[in-house]
Amino acid sequence: MAARPPPTRPHINLNPSSHFSYPTNEWGEDDAWDSASDSESASNSQSAWGRSLQTTPSRPSGAASAPKPVPRRSQNSSSSTLAFSYTHVSAPSPGSYPSHTDLIPPTKNGWTIVQKTNGDGSLGVDDKTESHEVEPDHEGDNDMVFEDLESEFVDMPVLPKSRPNAACVRLDAVEIANDPLRLLRRPGGRHGRAGSSSSQRSRSSSPHYDKPSEKLKREQSFKNNRRHKFIECLSREDVDMSELRKLAWSGIPDDFRPLAWPLLLGYLPLPMRLRSSTLDRKRGEYQSLVDLTFAKGRDGLDQQIWHQIEIDVPRTRPGVELWMHSSTQRCLERILYVWAIRHPASGYVQGINDLATPFFEVFLSAYVDADPEDIDPSILPPPVLAAIEADSFWCLSRLLDGIQDNYITAQPGIQRSVKRMAELVGRIDAPLSEHLAAQGVEFMQFAFRWMNCLLMREISVKNTVRMWDTYLAEGPDAFSQFHLYVCSAFLVRWSDKLREMDFQGIIMFLQSLPTQDWTDHEIEMLLSQAFVLNSIWHNAQSHFTKK
Amino acid sequence: MAEGSNFDYLFKVVLIGDSGVGKSSVSPFLVLSRFTRNEFNLETKSTIGVEFATRSITVDGKTLKAQIWDTAGQERYRAITAAYYRGAVGALLVYDIAKHATYVNVTRWLKELRDHADSNIVIMLVGNKSDLKHLRAVPTEEAKTFLNGLSFIETSALDASNVESAFQTILTDIYRIVSSKQLEQNADPIKPSRTGGGCC
Repeated sequence: MAARPPPTRPHINLNPSSHFSYPTNEWGEDDAWDSASDSESASNSQSAWGRSLQTTPSRPSGAASAPKPVPRRSQNSSSSTLAFSYTHVSAPSPGSYPSHTDLIPPTKNGWTIVQKTNGDGSLGVDDKTESHEVEPDHEGDNDMVFEDLESEFVDMPVLPKSRPNAACVRLDAVEIANDPLRLLRRPGGRHGRAGSSSSQRSRSSSPHYDKPSEKLKREQSFKNNRRHKFIECLSREDVDMSELRKLAWSGIPDDFRPLAWPLLLGYLPLPMRLRSSTLDRKRGEYQSLVDLTFAKGRDGLDQQIWHQIEIDVPRTRPGVELWMHSSTQRCLERILYVWAIRHPASGYVQGINDLATPFFEVFLSAYVDADPEDIDPSILPPPVLAAIEADSFWCLSRLLDGIQDNYITAQPGIQRSVKRMAELVGRIDAPLSEHLAAQGVEFMQFAFRWMNCLLMREISVKNTVRMWDTYLAEGPDAFSQFHLYVCSAFLVRWSDKLREMDFQGIIMFLQSLPTQDWTDHEIEMLLSQAFVLNSIWHNAQSHFTKK
Repeated sequence: MAEGSNFDYLFKVVLIGDSGVGKSSVSPFLVLSRFTRNEFNLETKSTIGVEFATRSITVDGKTLKAQIWDTAGQERYRAITAAYYRGAVGALLVYDIAKHATYVNVTRWLKELRDHADSNIVIMLVGNKSDLKHLRAVPTEEAKTFLNGLSFIETSALDASNVESAFQTILTDIYRIVSSKQLEQNADPIKPSRTGGGCC
């Protein structure tokens, strides 16, 4: 190969904040919020969900009477989606049951950290608690309801419904939108997103433990220690980027991510005093872009691009409640279309829709005390939803800036990455490489997707979010360079299995890898392997030019 | 893997057509293998680049095995997907009976095949989503007469009608051509060596 790919950027922490330049184009600051388009029905939701509802989304307890809690996070299995969606479909109106809020004492069995509004834990911890409280009658009712609706559901596509979970919108959502630093002031670890799966598992699997084991204690203190470091780092007048990167590399606590990501991406300025004005300006700017872009209505749009986005948006994370709601889908459409129009060399390319989802979910998680994937975003105050959309747009733009040549004509960025990955795997796992060649498997046949969607079709969003902590800490090139090493490590991980398969087996296996149960642990293993590969090979480019 | 290497013929078939016409759902067995498939949800994720599936049928006592490459419909992926036309002996060209534009584009796809695929490739036109009767924008008769010599079928991945026979038909067609050719001389498609073909 004649032209060498550009060398990778030296490893992290060398030049902290200079990677991203801030675009200086000023958009009319006079564009006040006009988020009418953002929320068809949300205008009075805020007042409707009174402050007293804070603790519990009065979820029907039908699921609670099922034999065992359905593990929410394994969303790749249809059964969990079924079971979970049932609660949506069947949800009786909130008024038909007495609110559990009144029934549940604040402390039970020495188990004081039960968070009623915790979305992820809700099917585990919540259910247990509720089943203690619900009268037998209720359980009977619910069982019947469950059966009825189950059969009904089979014939029914999952219909998103406005649900009681409005109670989980944080009361200070609007304030957080204006000052993300408020995220730090919340006591204790909330687990809105399921990022820290290990902690969740330990909580939900043994809700009755009185004496935490030594190991748990140590884990806990380690975690607290990390949280403290993050708080210290993030609450500085002027955040030290290299410190933040160092911390973020090993994973960001879920509740700090909505602040840490934009800092790492350079969307949010490091000096504290500039942040709220920057946010105001960028959100206003996005809003005017939207207004401008959609000013002439649908006919004024680039039909080809719009058509592609329109058919892809409903295919984005299908089956996940959040992404089936119209308000989410409209946000995503705008984000993708505005980006596409502003980047004519690539336009919208399938797969970019996937890349937008982690941002949206992470930002959404800042405003709700629940798993963002269960939320209907139209329950948010309109300015908050608009802020999520704008922040997602800008952060997605930052990410895509680093990998634009993945999406321009002929997709040279991907071609290059796949080629280099093949070369690298040839170096680090020659037997695998030879076996693939002998079977006629080309890297392009599977790794194309790995590059195009940054492995998002191979691992869960939760895994992706954790992975991006490290990517963002690595710096803006990580999504093209470091990712290559991650992909190589990812492939080699299955080496033993792959070497026993034939062409068809290999391709099929790589198309549906058994990563459904992956937690942060597997991702972190992968990242460390990639780190080692990166350290060894990134300064040894001549090895890649053997052909 | 599962199907082993017991087959007499191996045919490479590509699934092509506009984005969103339901290429990936034309073949349910393919859908089932997909990482993301949730059978209670009608939406599947878009195909990125190319996805692979396989299917075997028996004709005249011979096992015909198809390697199906399901391609992404978006224009931007054309550079990638066109590489898969090489060596393909069959193409299922799918359009959406409820979206006239996808039918109009059939001509473009045919050109695409002419440019990149083997000239003897067997093409079958597939009008998908036949369950959407009330939205039909392409009359069956029109499509039938559109190209003579091209086999045509309407399918609905939703009720699985005709999806099976679409595959039956195209594979049988290919088989007839190949076996008659073989009488004359050697054929293009890959005939596996029964001894060592795969290593499973």
